[in-house]
Amino acid sequence: MFLPGVLPPAVADSVSTAAFSPGLSLQLHAGAIAPEAAVLIALLTCLLVDLAGEKAASRWVPPLCYAGLGTALVLLALQWDGPQDPAFLGSFLADNLAIAFRAVVAASTLLSLLLSWRYVEQSGTPVGEYAAILLAATLGAMFLCGATDLVSIFISLETLSVSSYLLSGYMKRDARSSEAALKYLLVGSAAAAVFLYGASLLYGLTGGGTSLTEVASALQTSASPVTALALVFVLATVAFKIAAVPFHQWTPDVYEGSPTPVVAFLSVGSKAAGFALALRLLVGCFESFDAQWKLLFTVLAVLSMVLGNVVALAQTSMKRMLAYSSIGQAGFVMIGLVCGTEDGFAAMVLYMAAYLFMNLGAFACIILFSLRTGSDRIADYAGLYQKDPLITLGLSLCLLSLGGIPPMLGFFGKIYLFFAGWADHQYLLVVVGLVTSVVSIYYYISVIKMMVVKEPQEASDVVKAYPEISWNLAGLQPLRAALITCLLATAVGGVLSNPLFTWANSTVAGTPILMHAIG
Amino acid sequence: MSPDLPSPIPLQAYLVLAAILFCTGVWGLINSRNAVRVLMSIELMLNAVNINLMAFSTYLDGQLIRGQVFTIFVITVAAAEAAVGLAILLSLYRNRETVDMERFNLLRW
Amino acid sequence: MTIASTTQQICFLVLSATLVFGSLGVVLLPNIVYSAFLLGGVFLSVAGLYLMLNASFVAAAQVLVYVGAVNVLILFAIMLVNKQETLAAIPGLLLRRILSGAVCAGLFLLLVRVAFTTDWALPGPTPIGDEATIRIGEHLFSDYLLPFELASVLLLMAMIGAIVLARRDVFSSDVITGEPVDQGLIEKSRTPLLLDTNDQKRPMLENTP
Repeated sequence: MFLPGVLPPAVADSVSTAAFSPGLSLQLHAGAIAPEAAVLIALLTCLLVDLAGEKAASRWVPPLCYAGLGTALVLLALQWDGPQDPAFLGSFLADNLAIAFRAVVAASTLLSLLLSWRYVEQSGTPVGEYAAILLAATLGAMFLCGATDLVSIFISLETLSVSSYLLSGYMKRDARSSEAALKYLLVGSAAAAVFLYGASLLYGLTGGGTSLTEVASALQTSASPVTALALVFVLATVAFKIAAVPFHQWTPDVYEGSPTPVVAFLSVGSKAAGFALALRLLVGCFESFDAQWKLLFTVLAVLSMVLGNVVALAQTSMKRMLAYSSIGQAGFVMIGLVCGTEDGFAAMVLYMAAYLFMNLGAFACIILFSLRTGSDRIADYAGLYQKDPLITLGLSLCLLSLGGIPPMLGFFGKIYLFFAGWADHQYLLVVVGLVTSVVSIYYYISVIKMMVVKEPQEASDVVKAYPEISWNLAGLQPLRAALITCLLATAVGGVLSNPLFTWANSTVAGTPILMHAIG
Repeated sequence: MSPDLPSPIPLQAYLVLAAILFCTGVWGLINSRNAVRVLMSIELMLNAVNINLMAFSTYLDGQLIRGQVFTIFVITVAAAEAAVGLAILLSLYRNRETVDMERFNLLRW
Repeated sequence: MTIASTTQQICFLVLSATLVFGSLGVVLLPNIVYSAFLLGGVFLSVAGLYLMLNASFVAAAQVLVYVGAVNVLILFAIMLVNKQETLAAIPGLLLRRILSGAVCAGLFLLLVRVAFTTDWALPGPTPIGDEATIRIGEHLFSDYLLPFELASVLLLMAMIGAIVLARRDVFSSDVITGEPVDQGLIEKSRTPLLLDTNDQKRPMLENTP
């Protein structure tokens, strides 16, 4: 099983070396991680450019990141429906599930970076390191989507987590940011330790195997308490990553205290990686304990939908409201996971893609507003329509889409989820989902009402002192580009959603573990 | 322990030891008021996991010893996590002048 | 019972006693410096357990990384943040401790039950003993190549991030517009929630390298 000869020292090298020695590439299938290699190269170049000083960094880091992430997305598209040999001797698998979720992660990083530049400059933090750490988080999340081995899962999870802790604490002169980072770190490390305990039990149960296929076959023959315990431990970590109630306590604090572009990444990219992990572990590995984990996830989904959407009603801070709303949104996505049918999985993928655009669009508006006014209080949005129609329009469309109002993209995603749930007789989940959707529409609309229907004299002080709108400053153009991209995707994507449905269905069709689970 | 003799210590002894260490870590995690002590409790939990992995590796996987490799990865990550944790703690201490967990309450609703 | 096995049992008992009492000391002792030194003791006794499990390489790594790096790092952190502060009393603290103690005891019983009721695949293959180091190297460059390389990215990022967060010198102006900046969140308007305003109003640390 061991390879002859010297193996390449770096992942990036292994990709290029593999092209020259066919024997080695045949065994390693290193081409499977070509998109990650592109991200890694961008990361290292960013760090090197950063050595030349802050001016050079703010000039060159953005195009480098676009190039790296753009290449990664192109390479991912080329991998679609490709050969599905386990890469790196069973550490990684580039099936369509992995490709779809990696694409969501890479796209969320790209959009978050577009939103970041002005924010980072204006807060006076170094740009080069910021981009590098965010790219490292992306790298971890992308590997997590395709990892098929407990060790790879652990290392990629930790790469994502450690980079996220650093990013939340990046505004180091702000007590809120440091506090958010410390809370995130302590809870996250504890969750990692719990996951590891579960992984060690699984390792013992297989009698010395760490790959998920070995774990799955060992789990099929044993039904002792140890499997239940391992399931609970592993599930706790997954639930922590996707911020399902009751493992959500870190979310509002971290979302409020972290720099807003980082929150945009955490709410989409990190969550997508968490769902990919959930699919791989629960559907691929714990399939013999179907009934148990589905019951647990039903409880988590109901709690998340109810608590997330109800507590969001009471929030006064925009970031905190979106934090609770994202908990509720994760609850909706879990409906698809619990169904375990082809439609359920496809709806999950579709909703994640829709969520990418609508949530990042909302964050783009919030970031733009706070850059101009330095506030994220909902009350400060009063009367914004008079001063800034673009933010008002963007935020309204994205929030309506998050609430599931037709004809936005989010409506089709949500209706597909509910349809899949109803077809699989998950009536409780669908009813709770429908009711909480109505609740969520209420608080989304109240924000819109705040912006639109207030008379000019009722506008908040912040809006009355609103600065002249200008897009000249470096970093604002990318923000506008990201905002308009998300807006177009949210508004038009709903009407033209047929390709998205096809895409989501072929994701499921091209993923052996999901097809196996469907039966 | 010579390789061909069965060990006089059963596998379960190591597992129980790991369980004690893990639960102590969990208790410390919940109850410590000093943030540094919380970090120490997390290190205890990780060490418990390592004992588990090493015991399984020797008793069940003596030839391929994947558990030992896993342990090395855990040690690596624990070191990285400790470094990051202390950096964050230091920057928080500069802002707040305290390490009392009960006073980290800027972000409560 | 041979002398070898008796010696092993005695070693195991001594190491476990150190481990258990050391870890209890880490979480219970009021003085954090004693806790940190006891943590070093716990790490060393875990390394001793690894030696008993025939894993000399991992034991060495444990001593080097945990005792040599992590524990020293923790001691440094304690020295850097060692302002004497009297912790304000919290009502119901004792009750909370007892309740969480009960929860942890329950968890412990569960874990022990799992350890004894599961039929582990015993006895496994014969341990390879001292060739373990070679086998670990082979693993790191074959089936664990991907995590091995990713770990290098993780360590690089942890290093860079820790430096960025811990160093004191910061820019005081926006690189592009030249406006003053303070490395804080852009959203400033949550002041009502800032409880310790006197902490916030302190003069910021100067730009010292």
